[in-house]
Amino acid sequence: MSGGEAHVENSIWMRAVLIGGVFLAIGILAFATMGVGVANVKHHAYEDAIHKYEDAKYAYEDAKAANASESEIKALKEAKEEAHHHEIEAHLSYLTWRTAGITILLMCLTYAAFIGLGGFLNSIYPDDAGHDDHGYGGDDHEHHGSGSPIIFSLGIMLFLMGFPSFQGALGNMLSGVEANLGDLGLSMLGLVIVTAGVANWWREDLPFIGNHEQIATSDPFEGQHIRKAGLWVFIMSEVMVFATFFSSYLRMRTEWCTGWQVNAGNCEEVNMLTASDFLRPNGAMLDGLGGQGDFMTLLPGAINTFALIISSYTIVLALKTAKAKDWEAPSGFMGKLLPDQKSAVRNYLIATFLLGSMFIVLKLIEWSHLVAEGFTIGTQAGSIFYISTGAHGLHVFIGLLVMLYLIFKADTVGYDEKNGQGIEYFGLYWHFVDLAWVVIFPAFYLY
Amino acid sequence: MGEHETSGIFESIVEKLPGGYDIYFWNFIILMFFTLFEVAAVFFEKIPGTEIEITLYAVWAILIGVGVIKGYGIAAYFMHLKGDPRIYTRTALFPVLFVLLMLWGIGLSNPGSVQALPEWCTPNWEFASQR
Repeated sequence: MSGGEAHVENSIWMRAVLIGGVFLAIGILAFATMGVGVANVKHHAYEDAIHKYEDAKYAYEDAKAANASESEIKALKEAKEEAHHHEIEAHLSYLTWRTAGITILLMCLTYAAFIGLGGFLNSIYPDDAGHDDHGYGGDDHEHHGSGSPIIFSLGIMLFLMGFPSFQGALGNMLSGVEANLGDLGLSMLGLVIVTAGVANWWREDLPFIGNHEQIATSDPFEGQHIRKAGLWVFIMSEVMVFATFFSSYLRMRTEWCTGWQVNAGNCEEVNMLTASDFLRPNGAMLDGLGGQGDFMTLLPGAINTFALIISSYTIVLALKTAKAKDWEAPSGFMGKLLPDQKSAVRNYLIATFLLGSMFIVLKLIEWSHLVAEGFTIGTQAGSIFYISTGAHGLHVFIGLLVMLYLIFKADTVGYDEKNGQGIEYFGLYWHFVDLAWVVIFPAFYLY
Repeated sequence: MGEHETSGIFESIVEKLPGGYDIYFWNFIILMFFTLFEVAAVFFEKIPGTEIEITLYAVWAILIGVGVIKGYGIAAYFMHLKGDPRIYTRTALFPVLFVLLMLWGIGLSNPGSVQALPEWCTPNWEFASQR
């Protein structure tokens, strides 16, 4: 072992495998309770609501055919509309629980596979192998870079090469059509190589306690940490990605006659419904769709906005705690949550992780409601909405996978003022994701 | 690295506030407040308690204004751009050039731009177009 690194026994990685098992158990439990148990109860309620609506509809039509009195027809019409409203509510309630259960299951399966497989791959290394000069270098070794990005990129390349047949085979499997399992091969190999690349990076980074951080030696970042400069260049490229989505949206939107434009007198008839027409109150209607938004439909997006801001703050608190030289445990209830500096950093990261996970669950619940109400990816407004918010959600999810490792390191080697920059660099990415939402939320949800 | 200078106006105000909370805390509170504000601006058709309608242009102004404030709060304080060397701010602002180019492209390719752009750019357009 070199003097500039923490001593990490390979057996410590078995803890990651155990954490993977815990995620697996949480996912199965959440799916069994929410996605099956509660969702089945809600499905029965939904079926009852359908029957009640059909009864109310027939009663109304029969009354009309029998020339019943006007007041009786009016009362039956109101009863029919109320039953229809209940049916929609029951459907959305069922979708909420079903989608939440499935989403949590899939997220936990991915968490379990990611951290479990990464931990397992590192645990099978002989103890000596983890302490050569492939990490950030010891006192007597000069650092010569990492192979992890190359392995990772190779995995991504294979995954994308196999993706057309992968998604075709997956689609066939989900719709019950016979699928050729060989079509999944290339992408699955890519995913395994991605995980191996990430696991290799973990093995290199875990012993890092802040010695020999690489410094740029030439302009324009001379004297700055290379990792930080690299992350800012990466964020710059991410700004471009989101700018293309946003400019496509703006370009399309200039041609649409939305409810906003009609109200402002810029055109006469609504020809396109946007997501905000389904989500916010007073949204426009077109062909019987939209215009049903209220406080509750806007709530998931609003909660998600607050969740991202709070998570941005908790990651700042994690960094601040890690860097603090004279940290003192708070008193009272918070003292139990944050008993010592190492646990406090870990728990702030866990809070960030939980808020991010909640963001994904609420996002998919919201999507399921929008699709059920007729806002599909088949329209121009739908495609740009789902692509933009989906790309953002994917960024959140990738951030969550990275955060799993940060939590693992905070729990094992720990973060302090010397190696806390790991949290800072991840925090930059996480804040960028929050920043992108600052643009997406008003543009797609409110306007 | 990642530490804030305490020389700005906002920082000097924060230092005088009671409770001993730091700039990150107040930045967080401001972000939460403005998010509530932008949701409320869209939620209400009229300013609560009055008959004043919130027009399309008022909503635009609120959403863009709040977006700029929130963006500044996140980039300057949470992402440490205010305390970090200038090169990071320049790196972050570099793509803005391309964003402006895209917006220019959107403006030019807008169906109404052939008529609307000269209108925006020419003073007394009606008189000019009648001649």
